Amino acid sequence: MANKCVPIKDGLLTGPLDQLSLVHLAGSRCASCEETSLGTNSVCPNCGYDKLDHVALGDGGTLFTYTIVRHRPPGAYQGPADFKPFGLGLVELDGVIRVMAPLQLAIDDLQIGMPLKFVPYVLRTNENDEDVVAFTYESVGD
Amino acid sequence: MGDVYIVGVGMHPFGRFEKTYEEIGSQAAALALKDADVEWRDVQAAFMARMYLPATSGCRILRKLGGTDISIIDVEAACASGGAALRQAVLAIKSGDVDLALVCGTEKMPRGFMDPAMIYSPWQVELGISQNPSYWSMRAMRHMHDYGTTEEQIAKVAYKNHKNSVHNKYAMYQKAFSMEQILASPLVCDPIRLLEICSPNDGAAALVVVSERKMREMGKKGIRIAGISHSIARYSSDFRCPADSMSATTDNLGPTRVTAERVYEAAGIGVEDIDCFEVQDTDAFCEIELYEELGLCPTGEGGRLIDSGDVEIGGLKPVNMSGGLISKGEPIGASHLGQVVELVEQLRGKCGPRQVEGAKVALGHVLGAGGNCAITVLER
Repeated sequence: MANKCVPIKDGLLTGPLDQLSLVHLAGSRCASCEETSLGTNSVCPNCGYDKLDHVALGDGGTLFTYTIVRHRPPGAYQGPADFKPFGLGLVELDGVIRVMAPLQLAIDDLQIGMPLKFVPYVLRTNENDEDVVAFTYESVGD
Repeated sequence: MGDVYIVGVGMHPFGRFEKTYEEIGSQAAALALKDADVEWRDVQAAFMARMYLPATSGCRILRKLGGTDISIIDVEAACASGGAALRQAVLAIKSGDVDLALVCGTEKMPRGFMDPAMIYSPWQVELGISQNPSYWSMRAMRHMHDYGTTEEQIAKVAYKNHKNSVHNKYAMYQKAFSMEQILASPLVCDPIRLLEICSPNDGAAALVVVSERKMREMGKKGIRIAGISHSIARYSSDFRCPADSMSATTDNLGPTRVTAERVYEAAGIGVEDIDCFEVQDTDAFCEIELYEELGLCPTGEGGRLIDSGDVEIGGLKPVNMSGGLISKGEPIGASHLGQVVELVEQLRGKCGPRQVEGAKVALGHVLGAGGNCAITVLER
């Protein structure tokens, strides 16, 4: 039997986690100030209003800015044991929000303004034998 | 409400030492008391800025000076901890509660990248979103894209600051590097290189601050705190927070602009009235952005300002005469108070080869996690 799937953070993802093609980033749109925030929030991080529409953020985005992480990040980083430099960027979605995310594409190809697509994936299996679902962005051409 | 003055300063060098944090902090505090010609028993309240040290660090450090029953409070506001602590001392004096306070910043930090669990959520750490210079680097990349800022301009900031540190006995490195050495140093998070970032380390700085009435009674000529402010970043105004996302529709002023506006108004001055600056050069790009946010040049012109030479010692607007955090290192609780010590010595005319001739007004600035920003303006 397949493992149960859980999001890397509660409220960060929406859709059936055992069907990754149907998973999206979760967002919350404030009914007062109209700001869209990342995740399933109960209070608007801008104005503090407590009536928010929970929405799925778009899967397509553009790279607003990025860096290349050249050394293994400190702490409980769960990336490959054989560390390779990777891109980290702010990906603009729907013209309303820029999400910080690791980028799964060749570091030499990174360019501000390039189109990207959302890709959920199983990062690891946790201590309860559950598959932990995380996300990255890939080149649209892949 | 009278003004508040600094009448004594003390520093323990920034670097790495085989000493306890109690020894490092108490040494700076004792030097500040000596500089002010006062005794520990004269201190009516004390504030200890620190981020990495355990609870009750202020008590543990200052009890080395002798027994006391005064209020001693630890203050933490990330890289702005020293500014937040100094502000508390200023408020305590302005309230009339005390006439003489000690403000000390002390830190002892492990080598390498800062522990990400202190400021990031566990899921961000798992995905590697959590490496300290990465968010500064992303700002640099966007600035280069929008304004044509170059890697050479960023390296020039590191070149200037390392060069300035050669005569600063409190700096960790005190070593000049060539542009070639800086640009050949390894990339940490593109476009920022190893010789362009500051290291967490150990160190302490301390100030004795007094009311105007107390200063007259002491027969001292102090340095006036013309303005001090501390704030955190407004919603989505700074992705150093460290944020998991930013708004693409809201464009709030960043924490440095907000804090600077408050301080300039409180001091009744503009940036044109300030003779020298110590600013948060966590990395060399950061200093370029701060030129713009403090008002030294228009937005997008920071790269051209470093090219102009105006921010050199001897230039129109010297910045980081001490060598900045790039050469001194950043013992977080002590970093802003270390800036203030440098600026007090500049205003006293005691900085030797790195002296800004005729400096009368000086500004210290720090910025870090949580968008914590503190700015202090001093006047002689």
